[in-house]
Amino acid sequence: MRILLVEDDRLIGGAVRDHVAAANHAVDWVQNLVDADAAARPVDYGLILLDLQLPDGSGVEFLRRLRERGLKTPVIILTARDQISDRIDGLNAGADDYLVKPFHLDELEARIMAVARRYDANPHPVLRISDIEINRPLHQLSVAGETIILTSREWAVLDLLTARPGAIVPKDRIEEALYAFGSEIESNTVEVYVSRLRKKIGKDRIRTARGIGYTLG
Amino acid sequence: MKRERSITGPLILALTTVMVVFWLAAIGLSVRVMQQEFDEIFDSAQQETTERLLALILDDLNQNTNIDPRSIAMLNTAASREYLTYQVRDPSGKVALRSNDAPAEPFDAPLRTGFHDTATARIYTEMTADGSLFLQVADRFKNRREAVRESSLTLLIPLIALIPVSIFAIWFIVGRALRPIETLRRDIGTKDSGNLAEVNGQNLPVELRPIARSVNLLLGRLRAALEAEREFTANSAHELRTPIAGALAQTQRLVEELPPGATQDRVHQVEISLVNLGRLAEKLLQLSRAEAGIGGSSTAVDLRPVLDMVVTDFQRDSRTNGRLQYSAAHDAKLVRNADMDAFGIVTRNLIENALLHGDPELPVNVSLESGGIIRVVNGGPLVRDTEMASLKKRFSRGKTTASGSGLGLAIADRIIAQMGGTLELSSPATGAKTGFEAKVTLPA
Repeated sequence: MRILLVEDDRLIGGAVRDHVAAANHAVDWVQNLVDADAAARPVDYGLILLDLQLPDGSGVEFLRRLRERGLKTPVIILTARDQISDRIDGLNAGADDYLVKPFHLDELEARIMAVARRYDANPHPVLRISDIEINRPLHQLSVAGETIILTSREWAVLDLLTARPGAIVPKDRIEEALYAFGSEIESNTVEVYVSRLRKKIGKDRIRTARGIGYTLG
Repeated sequence: MKRERSITGPLILALTTVMVVFWLAAIGLSVRVMQQEFDEIFDSAQQETTERLLALILDDLNQNTNIDPRSIAMLNTAASREYLTYQVRDPSGKVALRSNDAPAEPFDAPLRTGFHDTATARIYTEMTADGSLFLQVADRFKNRREAVRESSLTLLIPLIALIPVSIFAIWFIVGRALRPIETLRRDIGTKDSGNLAEVNGQNLPVELRPIARSVNLLLGRLRAALEAEREFTANSAHELRTPIAGALAQTQRLVEELPPGATQDRVHQVEISLVNLGRLAEKLLQLSRAEAGIGGSSTAVDLRPVLDMVVTDFQRDSRTNGRLQYSAAHDAKLVRNADMDAFGIVTRNLIENALLHGDPELPVNVSLESGGIIRVVNGGPLVRDTEMASLKKRFSRGKTTASGSGLGLAIADRIIAQMGGTLELSSPATGAKTGFEAKVTLPA
C-alpha cells in the first residue's frame, strides 16, 4: 500500500517512515500541509497518516478540505492532542482512526491494517483465492501450501490486486505504488513486476486487461 | 453553630422598632399637649362654674336665709358621684355650705381668689364682692387623669393593632426592595469553574449595577486566566509528548533493527523507561488540568459516547489482553453538566488503575447503571482500610508492586469533585469477597 505520511517532527517522521516501509508499504513523507496537498492531488494514496499541529496550519482543516474535494482515502490522525474533544473534531472532519502520541509502532501498524481492511472488499486479514492464501498483516503468502517470499515492490503490486479481487487495477495506480519506493520507473517497470509475481504465484493468476490494467483471480 | 446573618430580618426588626418608638414618642407628645389643653379647658370650666355657682348661691341666700345646700343645682346631678365638689366658707374659714361629696372639713386651700392645688384636687376660690363669703370648687386630679388616660388609650389601641400589620407591610416592602439583591446573589452563587458567564446587570437597580460590573470584570479576568492555563497545559502536552514520542519511536526502530543480544536488551530498557516517562508526563499534565478546574460545565453533555470511546480504546489496546468487559443498562443515560475531556480523563484513569493494579488473570468490569452510576471493578486481594484512606492522595501507590504514578485516583477524585460528584472506593467490591471497586456518581 502507498502511504502518505504528513509529520513535521523529524524523529517521529523518520521512525514511522522506516517502520511502515519495513512492513512493505511504500511511504511518501512530507513535513507541511503545502507539500501534503501537492502530494495528495496527483497520487491516489492507499492511506494518509496525518499529524494535526503542522507548521503551516491545522491538520484537521487539511483533512476537511480533502473530504470536501471528495477524496475518500482513509486517514489516520497521529497527534499529541489526547483530549476527547480533539478526537471528536478529527473524526468529524473525516478521519478513520486516531492515535495519540507517544504510540507503539506496532500499534500503528495494527491500526493501518485495520483501516485498510475496512476499506477492502474483503475485510478479513487472511485472503484465499483458490489455492493462494495471503495473510496481509503478516505479509505471508502461500500457494498450494508452499510458502512464497515476495519483495516489497512485489507486495505493493499484490496489495493493489488483492484489495478488490476480480476488479481491474489500472496500470498507472500500480506505477504510483512502485514509484514510492524511490527507484526510477521505466516504461516497462509494471510489466516487469507483474511478470515476477506471475512466476511466483502462477502464470494464469493475473490476467491482463489490454490498455487498462491487471486483475487477480 | 454560628447563625448566618441576614439583611431582611434585622432590617424588619429595626424598621418596626423605629416606627414603634416614633409612634410612642408621638403619642407621648400628644398626651402631653392633650393634658395641657385638658387642664386649660378644665380650669376654664371650673372657674366659670364657680363664678356662676357663687351668683346662684348669693341669689338664693338673698331670697331664703335657710338655704339647703342640696337645693342648689349641682354640676353633675345625674351621676352617682360628683366631679366637682364645693364648699361655701365664711372669712374665718368655717364651712357654711357644701355639696354632697364635699368633705365636712374645709378644703386645704387659702381663701384667696384663684387656683390652688392640694394633694388630691385642684381648687378654685371665688369670693363675693363684699368678701363675706368664699366659694371653693374642687376638681379632683383623679378625674382629670382619668380623662387623659382614656384619651391616651384611644391613641394606643390602634398602635397595638398596627404593629403586626406594619411588620407584614415592612417585610413585604423590604422583600420587594431586596429582590434584585437576591437575584444578583443567586446569579453570582451559580458561578464556578464550569459557569463563568457574565452576570446580567441590565435589569438591576442603579445601586447594584457597579457590583454586577465588578463581578463581570472579575469573571472576565478569571475566564482569561483559566483559558490561558488550559491553553498552556494543552500546548505543554503537545510540546512534551512530541519529543518523548520521537525518542520512543526511534528507540522502537532500534530494537527492531538490532540483532538479538545485550545491546538490544539495553535499548529495550531505554524503551521501557521512555514509556514510563511518557506516562508520568501524561499524568502530570492531567493533574495540571485538574488543578486548572476543568471539571465543571454550564452546559449539559451526553457523556455516554465518551465512556464508550474510552472503553473501546482500552479494548483495542493489545496490552489489555481482552480483560476489559463493559456493560451498560439499556436505559442508562449520562447527560451531565460536566466537561467531556475532563470526564475522559476520569474514566481513563479509573480503568487504567484497575488494569494496572488488579489481578492480571481476572477481568476488569466497567458498568454504567440505569441511574448513571459508573462502576469500575477489578479482581485482586483486599485493600486494607488504612491504605484505602490514602489512595486518593497524590503519589499514593498503596501496597501495589505495579509501576503506577500514584496520581490516577487523585486526579479522578479532584475532577469528579469539580463536577459536584463523588468517587467512592471500596474493597471488597460490591457483592464480592475480594477485589476493588471505584464508584462514580455525578449529579443529574
